[in-house]
Amino acid sequence: MVAVLEKNEMLAIAEKTVRLAVAKGASEVEAYVCEGQASNVGIELGQVNKTDQIIDRGVGVRVVIKKAIGFAYTNIVNDLNAFEDIVTRAISAAKASKSDSDWKGFAQKKQYVSGLTDLFDHEILEVGAGELVNMAHIMVDSAVQVDKSVLATEGSIGSVYWSNAIVNSNGVCGFDKGTAIECSLATLAKNGHKVTPVCFEFNASRKYKIDPAWVGKEAAKLSVSALKTKTIKTKTTTIILTQFALQDLLSYTLFNAVKADSVQRGQSPFKGKIGEKVVSDDLTIYDDGLYPGGLSTGLFDGEGSPHQKTLIIENGVLKNFLYDNYAAKKEGKDSTGNALRDGYLSTPSIGATNFHIVPGAFSNDNVIRQVDDGILVYYLQGAHSSNPVSGEFSVVATPVWEIKNGEIVSASRVVMLAGNIFEVLKNVSFVGNNERQVGGLISPWIVVNNVRVIGK
Amino acid sequence: MQQALLKVIETATQKHGAHYAEARAQKLYKTMFTLKEERVEAAKQGIENGVALRVLVNGAWGFASVGSFENDILLSTVSNACTMAKTASQQLKNPIKLAAANTITDHVEVKAKKNPADIAMEDKIKNISEINKTIQQYDKRIKSCTVDYLDLTGSTIFVNSEGTNIQQDKMFVWSKITASAESCGVFTFSREEIGSTFGYEVFDTQPPQEIGEAVAKRAVAQLSAKTLKGGKTPVVLGSNVVGVFVHEAFGHLAEADLALSGGVLFNTLGEKIGSDLVTFYDDGTVPGAFGSFKYDDEGVPAQKTLLIKDGVVTSLMHNRETASKFNVNPTGNARAEDFRVEPIIRMRNTYMAPRDYEFEELLEGIKSGYFFKSFRGGQTNIDGTFQVGIQEGYEIVNGEISVPVRNASISGNTLETLLKVDAVGKNFAIDSGRCGKGQTAFIGDGGPHIRLSEVVVGGSA
Repeated sequence: MVAVLEKNEMLAIAEKTVRLAVAKGASEVEAYVCEGQASNVGIELGQVNKTDQIIDRGVGVRVVIKKAIGFAYTNIVNDLNAFEDIVTRAISAAKASKSDSDWKGFAQKKQYVSGLTDLFDHEILEVGAGELVNMAHIMVDSAVQVDKSVLATEGSIGSVYWSNAIVNSNGVCGFDKGTAIECSLATLAKNGHKVTPVCFEFNASRKYKIDPAWVGKEAAKLSVSALKTKTIKTKTTTIILTQFALQDLLSYTLFNAVKADSVQRGQSPFKGKIGEKVVSDDLTIYDDGLYPGGLSTGLFDGEGSPHQKTLIIENGVLKNFLYDNYAAKKEGKDSTGNALRDGYLSTPSIGATNFHIVPGAFSNDNVIRQVDDGILVYYLQGAHSSNPVSGEFSVVATPVWEIKNGEIVSASRVVMLAGNIFEVLKNVSFVGNNERQVGGLISPWIVVNNVRVIGK
Repeated sequence: MQQALLKVIETATQKHGAHYAEARAQKLYKTMFTLKEERVEAAKQGIENGVALRVLVNGAWGFASVGSFENDILLSTVSNACTMAKTASQQLKNPIKLAAANTITDHVEVKAKKNPADIAMEDKIKNISEINKTIQQYDKRIKSCTVDYLDLTGSTIFVNSEGTNIQQDKMFVWSKITASAESCGVFTFSREEIGSTFGYEVFDTQPPQEIGEAVAKRAVAQLSAKTLKGGKTPVVLGSNVVGVFVHEAFGHLAEADLALSGGVLFNTLGEKIGSDLVTFYDDGTVPGAFGSFKYDDEGVPAQKTLLIKDGVVTSLMHNRETASKFNVNPTGNARAEDFRVEPIIRMRNTYMAPRDYEFEELLEGIKSGYFFKSFRGGQTNIDGTFQVGIQEGYEIVNGEISVPVRNASISGNTLETLLKVDAVGKNFAIDSGRCGKGQTAFIGDGGPHIRLSEVVVGGSA
């Protein structure tokens, strides 16, 4: 990686932008500066044959004039003219916009936690292309050694560094940085004309600690086990949802239902249900922006509000929603630190940080052993076609593994699962203890009864 | 600018051992806003300037992107890219080669009747607010509506070490409209997208009130829809669903990179995999369509590519790398979302050719089935499994459209399902959309209405 912008340089850009905007007549200003650097090597058809390096820096500025909000961004951060230009653009955008009578100002200054560890690793900055290439080879070799039918179709391994600085006219002033390294591999197994669906594994960590050999082996094992298949009959049955499937399903449904703006705008079935039982007793869910080593862990959110641990559902009872500053002020509350941003390119919007489903007591094997008749679901297709408001879904799961009397008996291709996620979450029968993070979700396996499975 | 980029490329080939090098620069402006009910969440303007550099060293790709036009930075970036590519190439068994492409010098100018850059943001907000107004006034059961608006203007430059030098002006207008409705604990959701590489005049052909009404009407109608029973059944697909079906159930599999990764269309050239009625194109030349452009991001002219004719596979979609592997000409499908990422094989406007059935004729003879009019999402697996979600559907009873159904999707395997196309309509439409494959691409897809003699429908009743 090339030299990164230091804390004082990042904050200086933000402060300069805020000063310029105030001088040009903005009544309130917020500047958000981001840097991202990523190095990556790619695998295609079992070969390491491509590399990429991305350096992306930019600043986004929000200004308020007469309660109307304008935003502008640029990715040129070493030129005073560029700052002048975006401040002018943000102000002209605010003037073109409409006053918002609910606007109660940007976030107020608050203390950030100290002592967050395991989020930045200097070693990740130092990882060279040679090391990435070596790890990529280890991952591919581990996959193809599992069986000669295995093809490592696509994969990558890469390191990333990011930092952000936020300054606003209320005195908020924050800087944070982080690192991560990730490797992933997609494999399939091919035997004559028979091709399995793609199976996938990955490892991601904020510290320089990943296991490419494990990733290669696990992806390959799943693929090989999906070669021999039996058809599954249409039935209503028990399903085990792994983290991949849960992340896919929940991020298009449950994640929306707990956002305060969805609730305020009548788009959430949870509206007016605080204190009521909304899902199974077995589920306790936090949004935890401070989760140790979490992929979304950091000091503050996209408005400079401190990250926190927010209890959303406790033993099935709805406790709280996720707020940014705007939605919180509308209800006279404080932000829960859930204003998410797509770097410098976007204004903040409400989203989960690390969405944490608290684990239960059952290990992997025990989860399967508890199921008399059911299927194990890893990968879904079409979860993004779920109804984001009602929670209805109708998706394909492939491959799946059928379970009889506590054991996996065979794999199957293509079943369809249909239902309503909020009903599904009421029918949770128990929760595993095998917690891991996939995307924004940290969760164990979850076992659900009475799901409609459409087979042959 | 061109001169500076040419210098960078020359350095890559002459000093750092690159066999091929290209630079792709962009200077783009975006105007955006989001409307939530009456509220303008924020009016936004963005500037995105940067350069993507790609080199081929000993048969491995090195790619680097940087948000700067400064000479020194570009020179050190290209040097890094060459070093990384060299490192990756060390154990390479099959070095990457590129199929030949013509050397092109061109400047593509945009000719819009209404260039969005010339329209004040205030006027855009006022105009688009009509969509929200229409939706909110449509029915009191409407709970929310969100409209995202984006337009982009500017230009890109592409130069490579073979002498191609193309400047293309860019312009598009895009909007996504969603609404939700609720009644007695039943929640519904409806969405549409509009996109055009013509100018702001797209809102003359698709007036805000009309769009708003269509979205609101669906959200309200779905309130009384019933859940459907899953299983195998005959279906009629509206052209909006056919577009996504073509895109998901065939298009992705015909992307040569996915075919090479063990996809089911590998080695199917010349094979009959669909019924005689199945003819698909991927076409980058449809005027104004959302997936149209003149040159792709490897400097190859966009074209109209015949993918499958009367059920027989005729071509895949290629970039220069896969064209070389298949020993064919590149088809102009290499696209990059922006300067931050490398070009990969993407669809443009993918559609099915119409035939001669009237809509009523498609329904005839279906005792019990479904008419799926509008989609919500879709996804493909390279083993040929596809899924298309439905946001608007109806029961068909004895050849007639009956009550609305909710929460449906269709799925199947491409190689089985294309054989089940047993009647194709004479109408034709292309819709605008976005496709995700790690990067987002703006695409068009469409076709006529069609009938599938059977497909698996997912339902929860």
